[in-house]
Amino acid sequence: MSVQKIEKNFITITIDGKECIGKNGDTILKIARANGIYIPTMCYLTKVEPIASCRMCVVEVDGIEGMILSCQEKAVEGAVVTTNSKELHNQRQNIMKLYNVNHPLECGVCDKSGECDLQNKTLEFNVSNQNFSIKESHKKVENWGYVSYDPALCIMCEKCVRVSNEITGNEALSVSVGGYKSKIVNIKNSNCSSLGESAAVCPVGALVNSDFKYSSNAWELKQVPASCMHCSSACSLNYEVKNDKIYRVTNNYEFSSLCGLGRFGFDFENKNAKKDPVVFREAISAFKRAKSIRFSAVITNEEALILQKLKEKYKYNLVCDEAYGYQRFLNAYSSISGASLYSGDLSSIKDSDGIIVFGTRVNDDNPMVKYHITMASKRKRARVAYFHPIEDSNLSNVITQFVKYEAGSEEGVVALLASVLLNNHKISDDLKSFLDNLDIGNLSAESSVGEEELDYLVKSIDKKQKLTFIVGSDLYNHPRTVQIAKILGAIEKYSDFSLVIVPPATNALGVSLICSLDEKTEGYTIGYNAIGDFELSSLGYGDMDMPALNQQEGTLTNIDKRVVPTNAALSYQGYVLNDISNELGFEAKYTIDYTSMLPVKAGYKTEDFDNLPDFFDNSGIEHRGYPLTSESVKVVENFDEIEDLPTYDGAIIYHCNENTNISVFSNVTTAFKSNEFYLRGSPQFANIVKIKDGDDIKFNINGIKYQRVFKIDEGMKGTIAINPIFDMDLNKNQNISYRFNHLHREQ
Amino acid sequence: MAHIEEHKETQSIQKEKQNYVMLDFGKTPEYGLPAFIQVVRRSLSIELLKGLGVTFREMINALFRGKMHTTKYPFEKLPIAPRYRAIHEMLRLLESGHYRCIGCGLCEKICISNCIAMETKYDENQRKEVSEYTINFGRCIFCGYCAEVCPELAIVHGGRYETASEQRAGFSLFEDMLTPIDKLKEQKEFAGFGSISSNADENIKKTPLAY
Ligand code: SF4
Ligand code: SF4
Ligand code: SF4
Ligand code: SF4
Ligand code: FES
Repeated sequence: MSVQKIEKNFITITIDGKECIGKNGDTILKIARANGIYIPTMCYLTKVEPIASCRMCVVEVDGIEGMILSCQEKAVEGAVVTTNSKELHNQRQNIMKLYNVNHPLECGVCDKSGECDLQNKTLEFNVSNQNFSIKESHKKVENWGYVSYDPALCIMCEKCVRVSNEITGNEALSVSVGGYKSKIVNIKNSNCSSLGESAAVCPVGALVNSDFKYSSNAWELKQVPASCMHCSSACSLNYEVKNDKIYRVTNNYEFSSLCGLGRFGFDFENKNAKKDPVVFREAISAFKRAKSIRFSAVITNEEALILQKLKEKYKYNLVCDEAYGYQRFLNAYSSISGASLYSGDLSSIKDSDGIIVFGTRVNDDNPMVKYHITMASKRKRARVAYFHPIEDSNLSNVITQFVKYEAGSEEGVVALLASVLLNNHKISDDLKSFLDNLDIGNLSAESSVGEEELDYLVKSIDKKQKLTFIVGSDLYNHPRTVQIAKILGAIEKYSDFSLVIVPPATNALGVSLICSLDEKTEGYTIGYNAIGDFELSSLGYGDMDMPALNQQEGTLTNIDKRVVPTNAALSYQGYVLNDISNELGFEAKYTIDYTSMLPVKAGYKTEDFDNLPDFFDNSGIEHRGYPLTSESVKVVENFDEIEDLPTYDGAIIYHCNENTNISVFSNVTTAFKSNEFYLRGSPQFANIVKIKDGDDIKFNINGIKYQRVFKIDEGMKGTIAINPIFDMDLNKNQNISYRFNHLHREQ
Repeated sequence: MAHIEEHKETQSIQKEKQNYVMLDFGKTPEYGLPAFIQVVRRSLSIELLKGLGVTFREMINALFRGKMHTTKYPFEKLPIAPRYRAIHEMLRLLESGHYRCIGCGLCEKICISNCIAMETKYDENQRKEVSEYTINFGRCIFCGYCAEVCPELAIVHGGRYETASEQRAGFSLFEDMLTPIDKLKEQKEFAGFGSISSNADENIKKTPLAY
């Protein structure tokens, strides 16, 4: 940035006599907060657009008549702001008096007591008695599944509504206006767990988690900062613990979000693990005997490093089904883009005004990506083009263009995209000749992506400032995955798009960077949360116990390419992987001693675990661990000819979990445990398969037998049915196969 | 319970006007001879018998007229002042008989020796239910903070002061401390530490009612 640009971008204002520097376009409140100046608010929530319903944030600005709402007023260069005066205080005190009119005197039982904004501000502004009242009406508590709503406590700040509209995109909540009878209504009768996100921001006890309600006072709980272990977003959260039990999960809701699974699916710990020296000796001899180690990507970076070191010493085959395809994909991508890591991240999705989603059922595969797309859509009015074989009704409110392609034709689709997106960009000769040789008409016909759809896409993102391309799990095990990755690498390299290659499992990115993986196991195999001859299990199912991710400390590498720390919330009495590796010739007192040894070549730093920061600062900047550095990689530009695209006719099964139950770990939590395995399909699917709603169906994919109950989903179209596999992935190597498969029924 | 009532009597006696009388013992002899004369005079008069007479009279009163002045502890106990802080009691609402405790957790929080442990939950009637409540009397120092902080006058100190036991740790459960439901009528309002002042009614400010 040039000096001039810096000057233009920043402004200086004076708040209470202090010179404050802020970004041009920032509100007064934002600048004040970033500079550590306190302005009381009731309705302000940093992560959504200003709501401006409470008027607590009033300030005076020299030269301007009256009071100004600092939460929505943009600061202008040189403004002189006063945040506190007699009048302002009176004004705020009056607001608090009104908030308190007929507010039930139930702090004694209220969940929010001790962390309630209404309590705090009532004391702060010294409202000691009630001077007015209003005729009270009976307001009934409503239960909305994971959350419950008590209108009597609600102060109508509208934060919950904004979150459901702007962040989760669930759009279930709305305000019913009626003076003192106003309340929040659940217009969709939604029971969705993402309502927990709305409950998290409620400043009072009106919207609370049903499972937590009345079970503990906030001040009795100890907060353990951690990272969510369910998916690759590894969101920042706090496990709130008392008596070695997690009572709830909270987060820094001003700046970050959690999906329903992260918020309510926290009790997956390995209970009752004990140290049994006999089993430990068996484990050691199993390791000495083993030829291979197979593990799941739900693992810390440190454990992955231990496994890699064991591999180097004992020449094991190291197999991680979830990460193998991803690693191959990432390498192929790097060979064209020249960078070891993709360029986009969640915040770049949020800031985009043009987004393409390709090869992932994003709402289910990674809810955080979906939240960020929603934010972009609501705030930047982003154009969102969703390329997928199955339409997703959960995304209908953010998608501006749905492009349906044939299952299996991803290579053709990405080539078509490259040809239109790289048009008019300076590209290498190799790439040019590859693109020129494409048989566009044929590709378009075979993939059923119309040329006019592509034209429309190009037109709609024309003049957009910030573009992001999101790709996901459909591609990593595609038969033509390498070629697809290369073309995507080219798109990122030569166009204005930044790319997000969504990791398919919690630490798939970390594993890909730390371990050199093998495709297949051979011989005697140790399974770590995976199938093997000797199984180490964090769920307590295997031959030897391992700690679950809420029982151990370490780091994860998340979708933001950030190394984030996580801490142990619950006690664990058994052995850990480090005990085994110590027995096998390594020496480390704790697993986290390996944090500083993570491979620098892959972009990690030699930072000790205890030095990793874990907080958001006042201006909302994330200080969690550290971002990986993207290393430069040797570029080899060569693209294969595109072969005939495979055709998938007839009934097709798509492996996809719902976003609340994405793995065996989520399937042990009280909130989401399920024994019902539904194959969901459209009426059309039912028709061609000749099956009715509620029928049992058995089928076989890649030698794995499935037994499901068929359920008609009226919202779905086409001949592809969705098959959840959260019950399978520790036992069967699911993640190594392409997600679309022909249906082969068994009788 | 009875001790509270008795104590009220004691209080009322104290409130009556006090009547002190100065006894006339005459002059105390200061040197040899007068002292000797006093001893001789006292020994030869019948003062000895007078004294014995008093003793005898009180013996008759105590044994035959029911005017005994010693308490036969442990069969009898003296009343305890309301401010005395012994084993806790959990009171009930007089109207409904429901326990008063709302599970706010303030007693647990304030307890200086960390001896109160409680669990609460969301019950079927959408109310907060106290599902566990124990006090470890091996740790309790009977400071009375819990009774003072309780917003519902639910936890109070009772008069059970005999806490000797064979073990250091002795727990008491909610049910043990709770007024037995059949004794509800006999439940007395606590007058000790943390209770409302006798002029509480005068101090209440009314909410303006618009309807
Ligand atoms: S919302 Fe706040 S002020 Fe209202 S009862 Fe609950 S803790 Fe008290
Ligand atoms: S439920 Fe909570 S967040 Fe929603 S409007 Fe009421 S007080 Fe605000
Ligand atoms: S009397 Fe004091 S030490 Fe005993 S339970 Fe109450 S607060 Fe705790
Ligand atoms: S302070 Fe009183 S109402 Fe609150 S939990 Fe203790 S006994 Fe119950
Ligand atoms: S914070 Fe500005 S109006 Fe509520």
